[in-house]
Amino acid sequence: MKLRTKLTLFNTISKLVIVTLFVLLLPVLIKNINQNYTDNRLRKQKDKVLQTVKALGIKNYIQDGEGYAAYTPIKDAYVSLDEDSLIENLDTIYNEKRKVETDTIEYRILSHDFYVDKKKYLLEVGISLDSVNETTGPLQNIAFEILVGMIILTIIADQLYSNYVLGPLRLIIKTKLVGTKFPNFGSYKEVKTSTNDFQHLDISIHQMIQTIESTFLKEREFISNASHELMTPISILQSKIENMFEEEAIADELKVRLLEMQKILNRLKSITKTLLLISQIENDQFLKEDKITIGELLQEVYDEISIRLQDKNISYECIVTDDWCLVNVNKFLLFNLFFNLVNNAIKYNREDGKIRVEAVKENNNFVVKIIDTGVGIAPEDLPFIFNRFKKLKQSLQQDSFGLGLPIVKSIAEFHHITIEVESKKNVSSTFKLIFSTGLIGEY
Amino acid sequence: MNVLIIEDEKALARELEIFLTNYNYICEVCYDGASASERVAVNLYDFILIDLGLPDYEGLDLLKEAKRSNPDAAYIILTARAEIYDRIKGLDMGADDYLAKPFSLLELQSRMQAITRRKFGLKNNVVELGDFLVNLTERTITHNNDNIAAITKKEFDLVAYLILNKNRTVTRNQLSEHIWGSIINDDYDSNYIDAHIKNIRKKLNTYAPADWLETVRGLGYKIRINH
Repeated sequence: MKLRTKLTLFNTISKLVIVTLFVLLLPVLIKNINQNYTDNRLRKQKDKVLQTVKALGIKNYIQDGEGYAAYTPIKDAYVSLDEDSLIENLDTIYNEKRKVETDTIEYRILSHDFYVDKKKYLLEVGISLDSVNETTGPLQNIAFEILVGMIILTIIADQLYSNYVLGPLRLIIKTKLVGTKFPNFGSYKEVKTSTNDFQHLDISIHQMIQTIESTFLKEREFISNASHELMTPISILQSKIENMFEEEAIADELKVRLLEMQKILNRLKSITKTLLLISQIENDQFLKEDKITIGELLQEVYDEISIRLQDKNISYECIVTDDWCLVNVNKFLLFNLFFNLVNNAIKYNREDGKIRVEAVKENNNFVVKIIDTGVGIAPEDLPFIFNRFKKLKQSLQQDSFGLGLPIVKSIAEFHHITIEVESKKNVSSTFKLIFSTGLIGEY
Repeated sequence: MNVLIIEDEKALARELEIFLTNYNYICEVCYDGASASERVAVNLYDFILIDLGLPDYEGLDLLKEAKRSNPDAAYIILTARAEIYDRIKGLDMGADDYLAKPFSLLELQSRMQAITRRKFGLKNNVVELGDFLVNLTERTITHNNDNIAAITKKEFDLVAYLILNKNRTVTRNQLSEHIWGSIINDDYDSNYIDAHIKNIRKKLNTYAPADWLETVRGLGYKIRINH
């Protein structure tokens, strides 16, 4: 998941949680506020009545011991005064149902005892709960709407800002980390940002790529130079051995030993030549100007390699269902690519095994498959088969130095050919080459 | 024939000289471009072998220069720089052949022989081997005018190479380098020359004995021609 998506998700979820919490608390809060407000109103009312009593005397309300009670017309509030015979002093606010004529109405009631002329009176002021609650609903709604509006505003603001502030990071990822070729050598373009962390990241990535690049170039240069330098001494040794071989004075048994030396020298020569080839491919020292049909190419490979099938009596089948023409390729290199793949299919095959080479069009892709019935590759070995000098267990008894597949890989990369390998241990291996459309042309 | 060897690696130049002298060429050796430049201005050669990596001279410039005073000589470029670009450039400038180091001396000699045939138009390209006639120009082997079509291109290459080096033992390495030299692969010990020879013998023996194709035990093969 992208960082921006994560941030947006977190923002939204956290705000939703807050909204839900608030909505759940809202009725309780509003009820509390309302109650406090009502209680205040009741107390003010009480003070007013007491002031009137003080100013005008109790007689203003009570005459001849008759209690006083006044209701508003719709009975949502009332005031009552009466003599109180109870001993305890009341001064509370509480909810209670009262029967008023035919209706039973729940009131919030303030009861207050006071004395006038040593006589105790009870004052009650009540407001019906219905009228109190009338305002609760609209209040809740307004509070809710304002809240939602504010939350939406903050989400949008968060979104815009995180988008803006994360922009450089997105740019760094897009231009420096993903793409056809990572690490991207040679072209550093600074990402403009005022965020220090991103500046640091950008510069660090650049420095890392530079380090990789210089190591990479050094390795290439080293291999190229080393193999070049080795060629001359090998050349001299080979000539010396050949000249000694020609001398009549040298006995045959010595010549056999000379040949053994030659064989070992050949091994050195092969490794050096292969490394040099790989380094030349990597340094783009080959032209890609040839044109050949896949059928012709596979036939040429077969002509060269057919002799090797005899040893283990391997049958070879080449099916070109769709012959296509390869353009902008290097024929010499492609020949070597297929030669090495088929050669491996022979080397790692069983007695009386089979090799099947197919050139087909699969979902608009031009594909060549090389399928053998050989020893296969263990799944844990698969990731390493293209590494230089990597020898797998099954190749130990072969006269291989672990450079066959590296050649294949560098030639394929040079031509932008994708290789896919599937293998089942002791059953078969399939090497699938997918040619990019740029390599396909008119004959 | 006169050969000028221009090679700065003294040990290698010495081996080339020994080898070619052995094959009846008359050799002169130069270790640098300056002396080679003097030499070509004074003498005429049949073959000039130029190493491209001279310390004091750009090899291709030397080739151009030598061509002016020695236009009829055959030029073979020897180099450890196997770059395709150099190869094209060298051949464009009139080099007759090109050998990448390390090369087999026998291969060099065969190329020189091939150039000689081309340059001097040797007609005698049919070789008699027992009851067989091998035509090196048309690349055919016949028996009583009967063309043996079963012989493959590779097999013919082997026979032709042995004929070029007739009466000498050619090792499996040398044969293998000749016919598979340009293939880069992962094997260092496999040798399919024996399988090829076996096939050649089988194919020829259905017509007549091919005892001129000899196995030299432990060393290699040889074609014996007695005239």
